[in-house]
Amino acid sequence: MTMEAKTALHEIGNRHREILLYPDGNEPRSRMRVPLSRRHWLKWRLRHNPKTLVVEKRLADKKPLWWVLALGSLAVAAPFLSNSSLSIAAIFCMYAAINVLWTLIIGTAGIFSLATMAVVGLAGYAAAAANVYLGVPWPFMLLIGGVAGLVTGAFLALPSTRLDGLYYALLTLGMAEICRVFIQQLKPLAPSNGSINAVGSFIPSEWYLQREGLLLGFAAAFALLLGALLLFRLINSERLGLVLQTARDEEAFAEAIGIDYRRARSQVFMISSAGLGVIGSFYAMYYSSISPAVFSLDQLLLLFAMIVIGGIGRADGAVLGTAIVILIDKGMLDLGPARILLIAVIMMVVTLFAHNGLVGIREQFRNFRNRKKSEARARRTEKGGEVMPEEAIEIADKQEVYFRRFNKRLREELKLLITPDLLEEHRQKPLGRHSDGLSRVLNYFRRGEMADKYAIMRQPDGFNRYKIVALSGERGAPPRLVDDRIYETIEEAYHAVFLLRVNDLLES
Amino acid sequence: MTTIRIFGYSDPLCVKTGETVDFKLSVEGASKVDASLSRLLHGDENPVGPGFVEEAVKSSIPATLEVKRQFTQIGSFAVARDPDRMLDGLEDFTIFAHVCPTLIKAERQHVMGQWCVDENKGYALGIDPDGHFSFWVGDGKVVDQIVAETPVLPRCWVFVAAGYRKSTGQAWLRVIDCVNSWNSRFSTVVPFQMNCWLKEKLRVAPVRTHEHVRFMLAGASETNAARGPHTTLLYNGKIDRAGVCSRQLKPAEVESLARGERPATEGLIAYWDPTEGYTDAGIGDVIVDTGPNGLHLDGVNRPVRCMTGFNWRGSDSFRLAPHEYGGVHYHDDALTDSKWETTCSFKVPLDLRSGVYALKLTSGSTSDHVVFIVRPNKPRAKIAFLLPTFTYLAYANEHLAYEAPIAQAITAHTPVIVPEDLEYKKLEEFGLSTYDHHTDGAGCCYSSWRRPIISLRPRYRMPAMNFPWALPADLSLIWWLEHAGYDYDIITDHDLHAEGKAALEPYKVVMNGTHPEYYSEEMMDGTEQYLAAGGRVMYIGGNGYYWVTGLREGEPHCIEVRKLDAGSRAWQAEPGEGYLACTGERSGLWRSRGRAPQKIVGLGFTTEGMDESQAFERMPDSFHKRVSWIFKGIGEREPIGDFGLAAGGAAGVELDRYELGLGTPPHTMLLASSWGHSDNYPLVSEEVTYAFPGRGGTQDAQVRGDMIYFTTPNNGAVFAAGSIAWSQALPCNGGENNVAVVMRNVLDAFTKEGKLPGSQFVGDEKLWR
Repeated sequence: MTMEAKTALHEIGNRHREILLYPDGNEPRSRMRVPLSRRHWLKWRLRHNPKTLVVEKRLADKKPLWWVLALGSLAVAAPFLSNSSLSIAAIFCMYAAINVLWTLIIGTAGIFSLATMAVVGLAGYAAAAANVYLGVPWPFMLLIGGVAGLVTGAFLALPSTRLDGLYYALLTLGMAEICRVFIQQLKPLAPSNGSINAVGSFIPSEWYLQREGLLLGFAAAFALLLGALLLFRLINSERLGLVLQTARDEEAFAEAIGIDYRRARSQVFMISSAGLGVIGSFYAMYYSSISPAVFSLDQLLLLFAMIVIGGIGRADGAVLGTAIVILIDKGMLDLGPARILLIAVIMMVVTLFAHNGLVGIREQFRNFRNRKKSEARARRTEKGGEVMPEEAIEIADKQEVYFRRFNKRLREELKLLITPDLLEEHRQKPLGRHSDGLSRVLNYFRRGEMADKYAIMRQPDGFNRYKIVALSGERGAPPRLVDDRIYETIEEAYHAVFLLRVNDLLES
Repeated sequence: MTTIRIFGYSDPLCVKTGETVDFKLSVEGASKVDASLSRLLHGDENPVGPGFVEEAVKSSIPATLEVKRQFTQIGSFAVARDPDRMLDGLEDFTIFAHVCPTLIKAERQHVMGQWCVDENKGYALGIDPDGHFSFWVGDGKVVDQIVAETPVLPRCWVFVAAGYRKSTGQAWLRVIDCVNSWNSRFSTVVPFQMNCWLKEKLRVAPVRTHEHVRFMLAGASETNAARGPHTTLLYNGKIDRAGVCSRQLKPAEVESLARGERPATEGLIAYWDPTEGYTDAGIGDVIVDTGPNGLHLDGVNRPVRCMTGFNWRGSDSFRLAPHEYGGVHYHDDALTDSKWETTCSFKVPLDLRSGVYALKLTSGSTSDHVVFIVRPNKPRAKIAFLLPTFTYLAYANEHLAYEAPIAQAITAHTPVIVPEDLEYKKLEEFGLSTYDHHTDGAGCCYSSWRRPIISLRPRYRMPAMNFPWALPADLSLIWWLEHAGYDYDIITDHDLHAEGKAALEPYKVVMNGTHPEYYSEEMMDGTEQYLAAGGRVMYIGGNGYYWVTGLREGEPHCIEVRKLDAGSRAWQAEPGEGYLACTGERSGLWRSRGRAPQKIVGLGFTTEGMDESQAFERMPDSFHKRVSWIFKGIGEREPIGDFGLAAGGAAGVELDRYELGLGTPPHTMLLASSWGHSDNYPLVSEEVTYAFPGRGGTQDAQVRGDMIYFTTPNNGAVFAAGSIAWSQALPCNGGENNVAVVMRNVLDAFTKEGKLPGSQFVGDEKLWR
C-alpha cells in the first residue's frame, strides 16, 4: 500500500472573490496619467484566466481605492460631526500627518529618530515667535516653520550616519528633552511659563472655538494630511525611495554599485523634517498658541504607539494607528486613565502577534497560510510522488502530472530489479549488451532530465583520471562537481555513476 | 594569473595550394601568441592507437602573432538601408508589423524601430519582459512607453501597430489577433483574446539618433567602450510584413493592414514584404521594401526565410503559395559569421602536400589548433580522400551532451567531458550546430565555418559518446594512409559540391570519410556520374548521403538543412517549413526524395548505437572469386575488426544496410555483416512504419552493418563497409590488422587501370557441391 493510496483526495476550486472587468479589445481605450508624471492613476492589469483563457481585468493594487473610501468618508462626514468630534478629527489629521512623515524617517530612510516632536515644536516656536514678536503675517508662518524644520533636520541628520540605531534613538530623545528645558528657560522668548500665546492663525479670531472655526480647522488639517500623504508617496515610491529600498537589503553591495544611500537617507530625513516643520507652524496656528508640552515624553510615546499599532514604514499604517489611538485617547475620555491602559494593551497585543502592525496582518496571514500549505503538502505528498489535486493546478503542462505518476510506478518496479548480481553485471561490463533487467534500469537512468544529470569529467593529460560531475541543464552554466573522488579507468567512472543513480533510485 | 583563452577560425576552411587562407583569432589574457604550422596526422589520444600525431611544417607564418580579443555578434536581425535617414527623427508616424513571437524573455525584445539602447534615443516597438507589446520612445534622458494590456501568446500570429504624434504627444497601440486554423500553435477553438487598443499621452518625444544607429528588425543598437556599436535586445520569433508610415493611420486602414492588404501610398515611408523576391531557387537575406523609397533590409546572421507567414493556409512550401511565406524567423543565438578581423593570412605554397593542417597557437599552457584543409591545385595522386566537410559543419559546436535529455538514451553512455569543453561552452558565443535548438526551441538549420569550432580541434572527442567524431575521426584514415604508404589527395564536400563529377574524375578511387551524412544534389549527382563513368568509390563510413543539404551560391561557409518527416532528427521543421532557403528544394532525407543512398553506394542507414562496436563476419558471397581477392590474407571465419578506437570494433556507431527495395544494385555481393549488437542499436525511425517491440539489435535482423561490393559501368566499382567505426579500427596494432588488410586489397585493386580483379568470373556456376 503506497502512501498515496492512503491520502484522501480533496475537491478544490474557488469562485471569483473580486470584481473583474472584461474589456473589449476592439474598442479604443484611453489610459489617463497622473499629471506631470508617467504613472497611471490606477494599476489595472489584464491576464488570461488560466482556467477559461478569457481576458480578465482587475485592479492589481487596490490601496488607492481604500484611501479614497476612508479619507472620502471622513471628509463627507465631517460637517455632520459634533463640535468635539470635529476637533478630534482635526487632531487626528494633524497627528496622522506627523506620523506619516515620521514613518518616512523610520521606515523609508531607516533612521530611528525620536526627535520628531522636537522638530515640530522648534518649528512651531520659531513660527509663533516670528508672528508674535516680528509681526510676520500667518501665511508666512508655514514657510518659516518649514525652514526651521529643514535646519533642525539638517542638524539632526549629521550624526545619523555615524551612530547606530539605539544610540541614535537615545541621542534624539535627549535632544527633545533639551529643547523642552531650553524653551522653558528662555524667558525672553516665552515669558509665560514657556508658552507663546495669541499666535496669529488662518482661523479668524472671531471664529475661534466657534463651529465655523472648527470646520475650517478640520478642513485645513485634512489638507495638511493630504499634503503629508502626497509627500510620502513622492519620496517613498519615487527615486529616493527606490534607492533606499535597494540599499536596505545589502548596504555594501549598494555602495559598490554606486548607490549613495547615506546621502539619500539624509535627504529623506531633511525633507521630512521640513514637512514636520510646516506641521509645527500649523500646530501653533491651530491652537493659536504653543507650549513646551509639545516636547513632552508622553506625547512622543503616544505618537510612537500609533506607529507601532499601525505598522512602521507604511503610510496606511501610520494613519490607521493614529486613528485608533486618537479615537481611544480623545474620543473615550469617559474611560479616564483606563484608556491609556487600553492603548497599552492594544500595543502589546499588536507587537506580540503581528509582525508589522495592523497593516502587516494581511501579509502575515498570507505567509501563515503558505506555511500551513507547505506543511500540508509535506504531509500529503512525497518528492517525485503522485501529484495531489492541489498541486495539479500549479502545473501548466498536465502531461507532467502523468509523468510523475508513471515514473513513480516505474521506479517502484525498477527498485525490485536492483540486486547484487545486477550491480556486478554492470561493474563487469558498463557498456554494451546487458540483461533485460539491467537494460531497463539503465534506460530509465539515461532518459532523465538534463538538470543535475550525471556526467564524467576527464582530467587533462591522459586517460587515467576521471571525476563525476552533474550537468546544469542550462545553456552556458557549467556542471558542478559531485565529489572529489578520482577514478582511474573510464569503466570505474561509468560504474560509479551507475551506483550513484541506483542510490538515487533506491532513496526515491 | 589570468586565464588565457585562444579561439580562432580559418576562412576558407578548405583551400587549394597557391590560394590564401585567412586566420581570424581572438585571445584573452595575452597580447602575443606563438604560432606555427603543423600537418595533422592523427587526433584521438586513445592509448590503443597512435595518439596525437602532428608534423611541424616550415612556413611563412610569423613565429609570434599580435593578437587581441575579438567580439562576436550573435543573434539574427535585419538592418535597413537608409542612407538619407528617412526612418530617423520621425514626429508623426505609424509603425506596424505582423508578428509571431516565440519566446518571452527576462529582457526586453526589440521587434522594430530606430532605437539606441545606451543613449535612450529614438522609438521602437517590442515586447517587454512580462510579454506585453510595448511602443517606447526616448529623448536621450527619459523613456516613455505605452504597453499593451494583453500578454502575447508564444507561437501565435498577431498584427501590431503603434502610432505617435509629437504635436499632441498622443500615442496609440493596437494588437489584432491573426490566428487562423493553420498558422499558429493553437487554432480558433481556443477562447483567447489577444486584441487590445490603447491610447495614451506620452510625456517624452523621440529624438533623432546617432549616425551609427540604424533602423532594425529584431534587434536594437547599443554601444559600449570595449565593443563599440553592436546589436542587443534581440528578438525571438517571426516577423512577416512590416512598415512605417509618416502619418496616423485610420482605424479602418489598420484593420485592412491586419488582413494583409497593402498600405495606401500616402505618407508611406517603407513597406517590407518578405514574400517579394522568392524564386524557385529560394531567397537571400534581403527583405525587400516595396514602398517608394527602397529601404531594403539586410539580414544579419541569416534570419531564417521560407517560413510560414501570418496568412499561411497549409501549403507545402513557398513554391506553391509564395504570398503565404512572409515569415522570417529571428533568433537571439543565431550565428553564421563571426566577422572577426584577419589576424594573419597564409598563402599556401604550391608544393605543400595536400592534407589537414592547423595553425598551432600557444600561449603559456593554453593552445589551440585552428584547422584548415589543403587540396592540391592540380590532382597529384590516384587516390582521393573526400573529407565530409558538410558533416563537420553540421556537427560544429554541438550541445547534445549538455542539452538533449534523450542523448544519453541514444548513445547509451554517460557523457565524458573535458575542462576545455567547458571553457568553450561557457562563452556561448560560437553558435550552434544543426543538432541544437535555438533558445525558443526551434531547430538550428544553419551552420558556418566563420566561427571558432571546437569539434574541429584534432583531439576533440564528442562528449556524448567519448570518442572522436567527424574530422578527428577521419584523421585515423589519414594516419593509416600515411602509415601504409599510399599517395593520396585530400578533397572536400565543398569541392565536390562546387565542381560535381569534375572534382572526382581525375582520381582512380575516391574514399569517403567516416560519416558523409550531409549531401547536396550536386554532390549526389557528382558521385553518381563518377561511378557511372567508371569511377571507383570506397564508401567506408556510416549513415552517408542522408540529409538534403544546401549551400547558397557564393557563400560556401554556411550549410543549410531542414530536418523533417523522417530520419534520426535532432529537431523537426514546423509544417510547411521544410524547404531550403538557399536552393529552394525540399530538404529532409534524400531517401524521401527518391534518392536513397542505396541507389548510389548500395548501402543506407539502418541503425545507430554508441555503447559497443562489433566485428564484421564474412558472408558466403565473400568466397566467390569475383570478390575473394578482397579477403586475401583473411581467414574463413576470422572476425574482421574486433578492435577499434570507436567503441572497440570496426562495425558500430552508425551502420548501413543492403536493401534491394531501396535501390541496392541487384548484382551486389554481400561480403560481410556484423552481428551481436545490443538493443541500444534500434532500427532507425525511417524504417519503422508500424511500431512494435523487438526492433533492437538482439531481435531485429535489419540491425547490422553490411560490407558490399558491386561493379558499375566502364570498370567502375563500389566497395562499401557501412560503419562509422571502420576507419577508426585502422590505427590499431600499429596499423597492421585485418581491417587494414581488406583496405590494402581493395585500394591496390582499385588504383590499377583497366579491369578489376575477379571480373572474369561472371559465368554461371556449374557446381558439384
